[in-house]
Amino acid sequence: MKRYLYFAPAAALLGGVLALPLAIGLARGTGHWGALFRDAALPRIALTTLSFAGASVVLELGLGLAFALLLHRTFRLRGPVRAAALVPWALPTAVMAMSWRWIFNDTYGLANDLAVRLGVLERGIAWLGRPGTAFAAIVVADVWKTTPFVTLLLLAGLQSIPEDLYEALSLDGAGPILRFRMVTLPLLRPALALAVAFRLIQALGAFDLVWVLTGGGPADATRTIALYIYDQQFRYLDSGYAAALTGAFGLATLALAAGVGRWVRGSSAS
Amino acid sequence: MRRTEDKSLVARRLAAALTLAVGAALAAATAAGGCGKKDARPAVRFLEGPDSGGGWKEILARFKAVHPEIDVELVEGPAATNTREDMYATALLSGDTTYDVVYMDVIWVPKFAAQGWLLPLDERLPPAEREKFLPGDMRGSTWEGRVYRVPMQSDAGMLYYRTDLLAEPPETFDALVESAGRLQQPPGLWGFVFQGRQYEGLVCGFLEILWGHGGDVLDAQGRVVLDSPEGVQALTWMAGLVKRIAPEGVATYQEEEARHVFQEGHAVFMRNWPYAWTLAQAVDSPVRGKVGICPMVHAQGRASAATLGGWGFGIAKKARHPDAAWTFLSFATQPEQMKLLHFKNGAIPARRELFKDPEIVAKSPHYPDLYRVLLAARPRPVHPAYARISDALQVHVSAALVGTETPEAAIRAAAERIREAVGR
Repeated sequence: MKRYLYFAPAAALLGGVLALPLAIGLARGTGHWGALFRDAALPRIALTTLSFAGASVVLELGLGLAFALLLHRTFRLRGPVRAAALVPWALPTAVMAMSWRWIFNDTYGLANDLAVRLGVLERGIAWLGRPGTAFAAIVVADVWKTTPFVTLLLLAGLQSIPEDLYEALSLDGAGPILRFRMVTLPLLRPALALAVAFRLIQALGAFDLVWVLTGGGPADATRTIALYIYDQQFRYLDSGYAAALTGAFGLATLALAAGVGRWVRGSSAS
Repeated sequence: MRRTEDKSLVARRLAAALTLAVGAALAAATAAGGCGKKDARPAVRFLEGPDSGGGWKEILARFKAVHPEIDVELVEGPAATNTREDMYATALLSGDTTYDVVYMDVIWVPKFAAQGWLLPLDERLPPAEREKFLPGDMRGSTWEGRVYRVPMQSDAGMLYYRTDLLAEPPETFDALVESAGRLQQPPGLWGFVFQGRQYEGLVCGFLEILWGHGGDVLDAQGRVVLDSPEGVQALTWMAGLVKRIAPEGVATYQEEEARHVFQEGHAVFMRNWPYAWTLAQAVDSPVRGKVGICPMVHAQGRASAATLGGWGFGIAKKARHPDAAWTFLSFATQPEQMKLLHFKNGAIPARRELFKDPEIVAKSPHYPDLYRVLLAARPRPVHPAYARISDALQVHVSAALVGTETPEAAIRAAAERIREAVGR
């Protein structure tokens, strides 16, 4: 009985600021769920959001795994290097997005300067002024910002793998690739699943990065669902539809993150 | 509006009670500090951006000297106007009395008025008084025949040009393209820069081109007339600028990006708001003394038009002391206060007489030219669903600029979306 009492303040707080508003929101949106299927703009926005989340999460996992493997080895200055690798993640997103906006600027941006100097481009281009490159730009900025987070999770996973498993395999004559496939990858799956779930949830709800970098343009090529919900609520004052969108989006995100996470974790059982 | 109001009200009260309970518990735990000044609220409170020049504080001090019995508080909010709009909308939507006076951008008027958040001011501001303000500002303060706002600051888009490169500014769209093309030497010197990013500023620039071609978004009866031949001509002209006389990056520009290019001497023409004049004429500006302004160009046989911006005061319907609020805002919109805000914060006065004011003209010799621009200023489509109208234009004008849609298709798609928005 006593432990429930200890739990009560936390439950009241979470209930008051999280569960109750969520329930009110869902209740408010109920009359508007039908509108989701009549909204002609929604499929494209959902696709943009999914592509953004998919591309950035896949890249972050690949890079994060590589960095984690590197940082897992013992080398001089490992401490400072590990700390430095976390810097992008520690920066406020809006500040970081503003810097990327300068980097991708058409006239004095670093991206153009480098590309021209290296001979990749003959003349600078307006990265954020073309639908394709603007989309790539938000992916790049997101990958830069959140790869450290994935690295951190995977590094923790790597460190929980007992060394003697590697030793045993080495004695049996297994090379590094085989050791990676037989030990590292299967035992890293829980950490991978966690990273995928966390990152998917965050990437699907991306707002600040896109808001600052492109504002959803050009030609709506980078408008994600979070920007769309913001417009419904604050600019169109359509709380009902905003609530329905938020509810549907929240449920879809959770389902997707759980499904993908389970898939990553589960295929190790086979 | 919606019939779920009562239910959600109960739920909201419940939530408030719960939050209060939790808050009270927390406060009790931390041995309550100084939160006993519940009724020491000022009579009138309003929200503005940062008071960068200190003009607002001085206006408030002047008011206090004349009306010591009315306490006025200025809340200095964020500089981003859409954030302030959200703050007002959130407060007004929930029906609380955080702000008694609403300091409004011209495009908020129909939206806020249609929601029933504002007090009509017709009786307090008789027609003879309205005459003294710039006509566009007054039109933008009116919704369905009633006045909801008293203008304070005006604003309108216009054309900047380099007086050292051409003697006479062009008057027509063709002449602008011709002289920009003749004078430019890209990438060091482009012909024309404007705001091409997908955001509100893009709509402002597009409307000037649309009106200058004789087109419009809505007609006098509120029907959508965007997809006229004039509409297509306007967008065709605008989309044709990119890569010919405007840099490709113009599709990412807001006001400041355009101003940087122009002020560094990299453009012959620029579309921007009046604020850029003062900065382009600053001591350290490379184009100081070489900047001219004129109304936006127009098609042969049509007239120039400018998109109206600007700010003014409204009174919230739930204001606790509407008379005190009116006393304050009629004081603040007197010529002396507008002059003060002009000199301190660079605001453009909304009263006609001030454009002939010797003190103002002595410091800002471009004011007679600016007056011409402001007289031609028109409000953006006056409709409570303006935000949706604007978004439809933003998306499709942007698509035409970057070439993912032809101007014809973009105009057709935008008109369709706007019909949906006004129809509902």
